[in-house]
Amino acid sequence: MSKYELPKNFGYKDVNILKQFITETGKIIPARVTGVTASNQRRLTKNIKIARFLALIPYTDMHK
Amino acid sequence: MKKYEAVIILNPNLSSKADDFIKDFKKLLEANTFNIVKQEDVGRRQLSYSINNHNKGHYLLFNIEGDPSKLIEIENKIKYNESIIRHLFISVKIHSGEDSQLLLDSKNKKNEPEEVVEKLEKVKQPEENKNEKPQPEEDLQSEVSDTKDEDNSEEKDDKDE
Repeated sequence: MSKYELPKNFGYKDVNILKQFITETGKIIPARVTGVTASNQRRLTKNIKIARFLALIPYTDMHK
Repeated sequence: MKKYEAVIILNPNLSSKADDFIKDFKKLLEANTFNIVKQEDVGRRQLSYSINNHNKGHYLLFNIEGDPSKLIEIENKIKYNESIIRHLFISVKIHSGEDSQLLLDSKNKKNEPEEVVEKLEKVKQPEENKNEKPQPEEDLQSEVSDTKDEDNSEEKDDKDE
């Protein structure tokens, strides 16, 4: 738990926070691994997907 | 009135004309009864993946509020603007008045070169200190003289006894 700490308010612009919750290949890490609460995991996935669209975070490591 | 956050990624080749674009965008928003609450010019930033063969993008963030039905018209005009490589409007409950992490990061990056300069100065400082070393020795001498005085006083005391 101590490795993954979430502030109360975070958004798609907090790239450094979101990067903790994706793997090296860009996948979203499941909550059962990180121990994040269910509601926070829902917020995380939403914000990660927005950040991906805005090219702040990669979808995958296969982008040429 | 609804609150929105707008993110616009400009063509990096046109980032020098970003100010002109911001003016035009403001006019477009005001023409459609939108208010700009806050705007942030993040500047050029590395994209995580290439969009339309661009590897960098000029990020602009806006906190705006206005009529949802007018937003469609704004989006229609933005769609065919070729200087924009990507855009996003998100409705939010509250505008956070604080600077976004993206802006802070870009500011830190700009400051980094200055920090390097500071480090160089710090490296230089020790050399200056070498020159300044004689000063501490003088202090020592003065201390020594002080101790001598004390010794004398003690001796005097001894004599008195």
